[in-house]
Amino acid sequence: MNSNRFAWIANLTAILFAVSLAGCGKSPAPAAKVSHAGADHHAQVADEEEQADPTLTAVTLQLNWFPEAEHGGYFAALVHGYYREAGLNVRILPGGADTPVVQQVAGRAVTFGIINADKILFGRAAQAPVVAVMAPLQVSPRCLIVHKSSGIKDFDDLKNMTLAMSNVDAFANYLRYKLPLPGVKIVPYAGNVAQFLIDKHYAQQGYVFSEPFVARKKGGDPKVLMVSDMGFNPYTSVLITHDDQLEEHASIVRKMVAASVRGWEKYLEEPQQANERIHKMNPEMDLDVLAYGAETLKPLVMDQVAEQRGVGIMTRARWQALSDQLVESKQLKPAQADIAGAFTNRFLRPEERDASRPQTKRE
Amino acid sequence: MIRARNWVLGTMLPPAVFFALVVLLWQLATSVWKLPTYLVPTPLEVFEAGQEHFADLLAATRLTGAGALAGFALALVFGTATGLLFAQSRIIERSLYPYAIFLQTVPIVAIAPVIVMWFGHGFSGVVAVSFILSLFPIITNATAGLTTIDANLLELFEVYDAGALAVLWKLRLPNAVGYLVTGAKISCGLSVIGAIVGEISAGFGSQSFGLGYVITAATGKLDTAYAFAAILCSTLLSLAIFTAVTLLGNWILARWHVSGPRRATVKP
Repeated sequence: MNSNRFAWIANLTAILFAVSLAGCGKSPAPAAKVSHAGADHHAQVADEEEQADPTLTAVTLQLNWFPEAEHGGYFAALVHGYYREAGLNVRILPGGADTPVVQQVAGRAVTFGIINADKILFGRAAQAPVVAVMAPLQVSPRCLIVHKSSGIKDFDDLKNMTLAMSNVDAFANYLRYKLPLPGVKIVPYAGNVAQFLIDKHYAQQGYVFSEPFVARKKGGDPKVLMVSDMGFNPYTSVLITHDDQLEEHASIVRKMVAASVRGWEKYLEEPQQANERIHKMNPEMDLDVLAYGAETLKPLVMDQVAEQRGVGIMTRARWQALSDQLVESKQLKPAQADIAGAFTNRFLRPEERDASRPQTKRE
Repeated sequence: MIRARNWVLGTMLPPAVFFALVVLLWQLATSVWKLPTYLVPTPLEVFEAGQEHFADLLAATRLTGAGALAGFALALVFGTATGLLFAQSRIIERSLYPYAIFLQTVPIVAIAPVIVMWFGHGFSGVVAVSFILSLFPIITNATAGLTTIDANLLELFEVYDAGALAVLWKLRLPNAVGYLVTGAKISCGLSVIGAIVGEISAGFGSQSFGLGYVITAATGKLDTAYAFAAILCSTLLSLAIFTAVTLLGNWILARWHVSGPRRATVKP
């Protein structure tokens, strides 16, 4: 098989990427990396108990960042045994700065990955055969925080200040393309709120369930501007797999999707156990931040569409809108922009979801 | 004329042929094994990306080059000054040298964000990282050049009752020139690496950007062709700076140093 032959290249590329890009603007303080190494150890200890059962199918799930509330539902499915009930032994691999999730899934180094929708379109444009099978966060948690005292009400008010923002992410390029930003100096995002707290003319990127809370906790007075309010709203923490999996291992994908949806539903109601596991794997994330995160996530997961059609559903219109925005902001060439095959809802249909739940009696 | 043609055939042709061969094999490998773009772009794709983003790449290369040259120039000045200080006494050298080594061993990627906090975002931060990375080879080479002096020559200067300044000016500095040129050759390449690493942490502001930005941004969206084009630009930049330093070094050595390449004009 073609993709297996390339697996080593994918791994090598992954390593090279990780090494060459370590210390990119997005990376947190070195201390976080140390705790991340420790986190691996915890993960292995936890997994060894589960690996004892040979009847389970072993799959790997590569996260796109250090474990956080944005991954909550997947951890809920793990700690509440939904994956095991579905016959899966899921090993969650923590990510970090610039973890090449798309490359790893495309090279079949891992079975599943978590990534945001924009990266899926970029990946497919570069011939990476990855497909979205479920999107828990309907509304992107991406935001900017500014000081309340600055009087800024809207994105158009951003002027004559420092704005710390990733130089890689699609949302940043879109903002840069859309907004005039007069006198705004854009600097790389340092991964914390330290500069924000000391500088009144400073704005920065964040995830709505994390940075605003941390800034407030440390005595700051942040105002949140949601990037989704600007209309740029890619599905977030999307579950992806290799194109070939859809046919070759449809039952595994179906089980994975169903159990993950259950996990997300559980996480919105009862996040404590999942949060404890996240905290164990990423001690940088305090339990109170995670509790706030789970609470803040509710409206992002359960928007109107999800209320009607269930957690994880994706629409063609949303994917098309994202693709159009990436073309408009010159991040994708028109010839590369193609959402056909980028996502599928087929594993989400209610009857299939019920069928894959072991505790639900089949008729 | 003939000499010029021989030079082209002998010096330029072999690496050019090798380059063409590598590009050909690369193109063949990508099409035979159908390697997907997200892993390896084809040479053609890299060329097209370079053509498409030509203006951006040129501006980025210029900016990164300016940062690297500024860092390198600062390293030359401060490195030589530090070498002079170390050459004054053993005690000074022994007490400070470990900290010079510290500069060499500190993982630059890890402390780049801290340096940016001290020196600010933008050009100054980039220059600071480039400076720190390219400083050490200058210090060690300057120190070695100023202190490894033939004992007989030192005695000779003593016999003629030469003062410390005369020893420095007529003996130590000429002796150090060759070492300094070597140090400069090592550290000019490092200065480009420093500028790129610095950019990743420091950035250049909202409108202008250097090669470090282009490389992270392009790899971030799996645009490997554009990333390869930018990497090629940074390599060409290093090569250009290295060539300039080497030519300048040869010229200086030919004039002021015994070890310089001699022209066959002096007949016995």
